[in-house]
Amino acid sequence: MNFITITRWEFKNTIQSRKFLLIFFLQISVLFLMLMVFNSFAQNMENNEALSITPSLSGFATLDVNDQGALFSKRLNSEVLNIENSTYQQAWNRLARGLTTGFYSVPPESVELVQNGDQVETVLYLDYRDPKRSVVQEEVNSTTRALSSALTTSYLESSRPQNATKPPGVTQTTSGESVPLQIIRKVMLAVLLFLPLFLFGNLIIDSLVGEKERKTGEILVAMPLTSADIIIGKSLAVVMIMALQVGMWMLILLAAGFSLKNPGFVYLMVVLTAIPLVGLTTIIAAYSKNYKEAGIGLTFAYVIISGILIIPLLGYISRQSFGANVSPMTLVMRIFSGEIIAPAEILLSLSFIVVFSLLSYGISVALFRRDDVVFGPRPGILRIILDLMGLKRHKNRSK
Amino acid sequence: MINIDGLSKSFGSIKALDNLNLNVKKGELLGIIGPNGAGKTTAIRIICCILKPDHGDVMVDGYSIHKDPLKIKSIIGYLPEEPNLYERFKARDLLKYFSELYGVPRADINPRIDELLELVGMTHRAEDRINTFSKGLRQRIGIARALVHDPKVIIFDEPTMGLDPATSQTIRHFIDQLKGDKTIILCTHYMDEADQLCDRVAILNHGRIRDMGTPHDLKSKVHADIILTLRVKNPLPSDQEAISGLTSVEAIEIGGDKYIISLNSRKEISKIIDVLGSRVLAVNTKEPKLEDVFISTLENRGMR
Repeated sequence: MNFITITRWEFKNTIQSRKFLLIFFLQISVLFLMLMVFNSFAQNMENNEALSITPSLSGFATLDVNDQGALFSKRLNSEVLNIENSTYQQAWNRLARGLTTGFYSVPPESVELVQNGDQVETVLYLDYRDPKRSVVQEEVNSTTRALSSALTTSYLESSRPQNATKPPGVTQTTSGESVPLQIIRKVMLAVLLFLPLFLFGNLIIDSLVGEKERKTGEILVAMPLTSADIIIGKSLAVVMIMALQVGMWMLILLAAGFSLKNPGFVYLMVVLTAIPLVGLTTIIAAYSKNYKEAGIGLTFAYVIISGILIIPLLGYISRQSFGANVSPMTLVMRIFSGEIIAPAEILLSLSFIVVFSLLSYGISVALFRRDDVVFGPRPGILRIILDLMGLKRHKNRSK
Repeated sequence: MINIDGLSKSFGSIKALDNLNLNVKKGELLGIIGPNGAGKTTAIRIICCILKPDHGDVMVDGYSIHKDPLKIKSIIGYLPEEPNLYERFKARDLLKYFSELYGVPRADINPRIDELLELVGMTHRAEDRINTFSKGLRQRIGIARALVHDPKVIIFDEPTMGLDPATSQTIRHFIDQLKGDKTIILCTHYMDEADQLCDRVAILNHGRIRDMGTPHDLKSKVHADIILTLRVKNPLPSDQEAISGLTSVEAIEIGGDKYIISLNSRKEISKIIDVLGSRVLAVNTKEPKLEDVFISTLENRGMR
């Protein structure tokens, strides 16, 4: 359990370091700034005052609609959807030719049904080959909810005495954000929460490469510690610092009025994600001779990590595939969306974390165990890969 | 206590150690001297289980570096050439950190640190950060760090390198205090240091032991007890024969007007001066040093 001693001292020294505290509070300031800008941006979008710098989804997808009463079609967001009035047959032909993403059919007697207080059953047909289908689906659902909400409000307004005033403390809220805003808000929140994991990667670099550059590593290796003690001890300290920062960011987001559903689970997922992420950074730190090399390696690592986290998330937005849950960021975004996550999906994400962690820490320990990697002359990457794969036997390993 | 058996280590095409064999007895202070690149630091790093040899084994207190590296690390205190301490730590915290890593019982840590700080004369700087210390003070803390777990074996690699004479003397004094109680290996470039402190000295070059013995034995191998150096006006070929005839003269070397004569006894110095008469311009005598042994060993083997 010697790694705990290393973790405790590394954590204590980092927290007490003025340089670290400065970075720590600088990051929190940046978060505040981002929240302010984001809130203002979201408000502008809601008020249709978004600036031209925001990505436009105008004409993003085409939807054929059969709604003679125009009860639903006039409420569909024409900034996102190109709406084509079609008959059933026309719509099928267009779907078959890939000219439209879906067909939304509303009963001709919809207006009468609403007036009688009866349920209106609408049908949405989607082309599942088209990745834009989820946006169309969200937009239709959003319109349905908005219309339902509008009818409910109208009903409530009609039953309310006209001269009644709102009791103190009661505010009127609206529901049903536009699809782009929903996507941006969910993805943005998920990205914000994962951001601290990228901001502290330099800590493990400093912790391990610093030992080589300052030549304190020689003394550390001369201690009655295994390579695993050193690697795990130092990595764990960085994970703890990340956990602290993520916790603070979540509190700030909550204080700023963001709704974080299931915060305990979200926190756990983000912190668990930090473990393999630090592991990958540790591989780079264990192999690098100096800060310059480590910096280059870190850039590559972050590109890989971003890809692993964000690509499945975007994949889920477009296709909602099971495999996209491999990224913990996808799970977090789905939690924010209020979706129910199946145990198998959580298991997939956790399995990814465990496998990636075992692999990354295994490689880091194997590298740090080699005296030629730590003290030189350092072998090339290809030779190390061959050694790790057992294709070439290496003699100079210490415990 | 330490048994080095057939140790070899290469770094690429460079052979740092070549079938090194060496024994260090319990309580002995063994000096290892050798030129730069002789393999001293490599040998030490292998004993400390920092490096792994290509061939051979080292047994420390009955433990093998291959089978029980953690046991060996826990009984060795190692001070490298540069103490390489964590700059941001306070002196006391640094010693506490290493005490914990060595597994010193919690109750013993603070008394042990106080004792060591007193030994190295650093009690008054215990709460200061390492980055405020001079090289000499860092070396003192480095020694305290190496002793924090009360090791059976202590290894010093060039402990006085780059220090001023007074600080060097203080460090030598610490080492001298440990003598007898601990088994010590001292790597040094300074022959006087080895001569002053070591029970035995091994001369290492090209990864092999070239000679080994007590400082006195080694010195006596090279020269007689006294070296007489003379500067002579108008040297004559007959001088060498006349001086060599004297009983206590072991060897004579003539280079121009400079005569270097090895003698067993001081008594015949006056006789030599009588032989040369008024042609003697300068006289100098000195006792042979370990440095002479070192240079002679390397010269004899054509290694300089």
